Amino acid sequence: MEKMFKLSSGIQCDVLIVGAGGAGLRCAAHILEKRPGTKIIAVTKVSHPQKSHTSTAQGGLAAVDPNDIVDKPIYHMFDTWKGSDCMADQSVVRKIVDAAWEEIVWLENRGMHFTRDEEGRLSKRTFGGHTVRFGEGTAFRAVFEADRTGKGIMDNVWGEALKGGVTFLDQTILTELLFKNGCCVGAVLFMEKKGEFVGVSAKAVVLATGGCGQVFRVTTNCRQNTGDAHAVVLQAGLPLMDMEAVQFHPTGIVGPGILASETLRSVGGILRNKDLEPFMAKYAPKMKEMAPRDLVARAIETEIREGRGILNPDHNIEHVWIDLRHLSDYVHEVQIPEVSGFFKQFMNLNPRTHLCPVRPSNHYQMGGIPTNSFGEVQKSPDTIIFGLYAAGECGCASFHGFNRLGTNSILELITMGRFVGERVLQYMEERAESLPADAGDRTFSQFAEYLENKNEENIEQIREEMRRMMTENVGVFRTEEGLNTAIRALYAWKERVRSAALRCRGLQMNQELVQRWELDNLLSVSMVIAQGALRRRESRGGHARIDFPLRRDEFNCHTLAYMTDFGKIRFADQRVDMSIYEAKGENFEKFGMIERKY
Amino acid sequence: MKESYSLVFNIKRYDPETRKSWFQEYRIEAGRILRFTDVLRKINKELDPTLSWNSSCEHAQCGSCSVVINGRPMLACELLVENAVEYFGTTTFRIEPITVAPALRDLVVDLEKAYDRVHRIRPFVINPSRNPNQGQEYRISPRVMERYLEATRCINCFCCATACISSHKGFIGPNAVIASLVRIMDPREDATEERLKLLYSNEGVYRCHTSMACSNVCPKNIDVAHFIGMVKDGDF
Repeated sequence: MEKMFKLSSGIQCDVLIVGAGGAGLRCAAHILEKRPGTKIIAVTKVSHPQKSHTSTAQGGLAAVDPNDIVDKPIYHMFDTWKGSDCMADQSVVRKIVDAAWEEIVWLENRGMHFTRDEEGRLSKRTFGGHTVRFGEGTAFRAVFEADRTGKGIMDNVWGEALKGGVTFLDQTILTELLFKNGCCVGAVLFMEKKGEFVGVSAKAVVLATGGCGQVFRVTTNCRQNTGDAHAVVLQAGLPLMDMEAVQFHPTGIVGPGILASETLRSVGGILRNKDLEPFMAKYAPKMKEMAPRDLVARAIETEIREGRGILNPDHNIEHVWIDLRHLSDYVHEVQIPEVSGFFKQFMNLNPRTHLCPVRPSNHYQMGGIPTNSFGEVQKSPDTIIFGLYAAGECGCASFHGFNRLGTNSILELITMGRFVGERVLQYMEERAESLPADAGDRTFSQFAEYLENKNEENIEQIREEMRRMMTENVGVFRTEEGLNTAIRALYAWKERVRSAALRCRGLQMNQELVQRWELDNLLSVSMVIAQGALRRRESRGGHARIDFPLRRDEFNCHTLAYMTDFGKIRFADQRVDMSIYEAKGENFEKFGMIERKY
Repeated sequence: MKESYSLVFNIKRYDPETRKSWFQEYRIEAGRILRFTDVLRKINKELDPTLSWNSSCEHAQCGSCSVVINGRPMLACELLVENAVEYFGTTTFRIEPITVAPALRDLVVDLEKAYDRVHRIRPFVINPSRNPNQGQEYRISPRVMERYLEATRCINCFCCATACISSHKGFIGPNAVIASLVRIMDPREDATEERLKLLYSNEGVYRCHTSMACSNVCPKNIDVAHFIGMVKDGDF
């Protein structure tokens, strides 16, 4: 066993980027444009950077065009603040919104195929929650590349990183961060293809590993979004922020979880329960199907909980129906062809003649690894840890607060990626460190335990049970009782997997081994989400407590959670940055603790 | 309509430690609208946790889960059980890794090796053309873009390269060709000459025998052969 566990000859680089999606590679591209020849290693858990989950984003990128005579950055800031349920950090909101159009031009100039109007300029479309004049009118603010904006971004940042000379390590995971004198100096990686561990010393380490949606049973997130960097950060004694803020989309397609967009409801789709009753009238008599996302999600979840859902036998998941049968051929062919296509592709259903199964689907983690507006990772409310950065969905700056607006996520990852690049360039001039002597020890004891265990436990079964339980108790709705049940169950599973034996014993490309490690990460992240949700006795944005249905001023602060021992969480509060409000400039009153009402 | 099917999966396995390769039979019951990725997950859970296979988004958008099913390269994430039974007329499926890269374990291949072909064509703007509107977007008419936009939908799943009768014999492969064509037709790129040098070299488009296999198997329904034809004709 000992022979298996050694660090193969170390790698040295200037910058180690963990996660080669939109945020990580935008960061790499920026560094290489400004300082060609910088030695950057970009690590990806998937089989190639182009497979990153960024490429599945459909809708668009919000950015205010300076040539737009109606739209203004202050409106975008307001929408983001209001959408966040007054939890976004205003310094970050201002910085990202102000930088947005520059990033669009950067992407376009490097070859992204944005959809254009007849004059050859970038087309724009509207999205929920984006307004002009502080909610008075609809904003056309999202630039897009057909229904594959994320793919356009991914293809281009990958191309630019490749052009600049990034070294890629595919199918590689981060198992441990390394520190010296309180600074991050590198990391331990496990290269799945070779089955080797390697220590990498770097002047700066950037975390950009994406979300953790696999915590839930139905999710739009990819198979690899298991909260790995989140867990590694916790293990290093650093906090996670606002993890209880999870966004669920009301209508995911049962099974693959893929989104059946809002459009289905806006063109007249009707939600029905197992008795075919159009139930939305009970929950929102006026707005019905057009009520906001969270309200629709809760209505669907209530129907399911009260026994009026339908069980899909194949995927073993309960759902409700969306009825599109009464809509005209024109609507089906012109207004909703893509979404109709998804039902055909993944359910073998024709929405013109059949009811289609939908249910709330986990979509986005607003919380994550706390950073300041430069992407520097925080170790406590006022201090940062040198040499460690985070960007994209795994980070929490926080731009989205407790609820993210559509088209703000890929804007965030691309701008924060660049901001991190800017900061890294300044920082790396100053230092170089060797790795600590105990580099890899933690990883080796963890992986040796996985391979030495002898008990019969079914990891895939536990993972599935955990995801189901998290969906039921820590999903769209939460209660004190449900959360306590969840926490007890998580302890029990942690105990059960502790001794689970693996059947595949080698280190090389051992899917079972990686899934075992992922399960530990999922359990840790789930525990932080559940305990954070229990502590926050209010409802705000994506966090809905039935027993505390209103937002409460005493919770106008971010949650920081530290957990080095499983389940033993130390919490701290961090104030919300309200610098726009405090500057008392024009329209500052719009940035106070306003109501989130549409 | 049948509710569930008794399937036989004959899966090609490979163990990197012993370097042995064999076919293993799995018999499994699966609901009609489960996808092949769901069935593989079911095999992991109920029969054999050691079986390795690749996937990521499972929305047919990343191209990680390509495998060869009864001889046809396909994305496992969008193949529903009942569609597979109907299409192949059987409930027995032989599942093998794609052939344009070496297997790492079972159905997982070293995709980095397959991507070498795409890296060769330099999948980015090599020499940006002059932008008359400095600091702003290039103005490009939708009419110019629509001639090649379809080709930008390619997800590099390598189904075409696997099906191609020439890509195992020195041809750089259909997906690499269309990735380069996109930049040749993109008004923002000036490096047309450099690109054509490779595309008209002895590993370029004249290796293509116009079998049309690429268009036939493309999961994104891109008419790949049409774009290869454009390169052959110099029609860009």
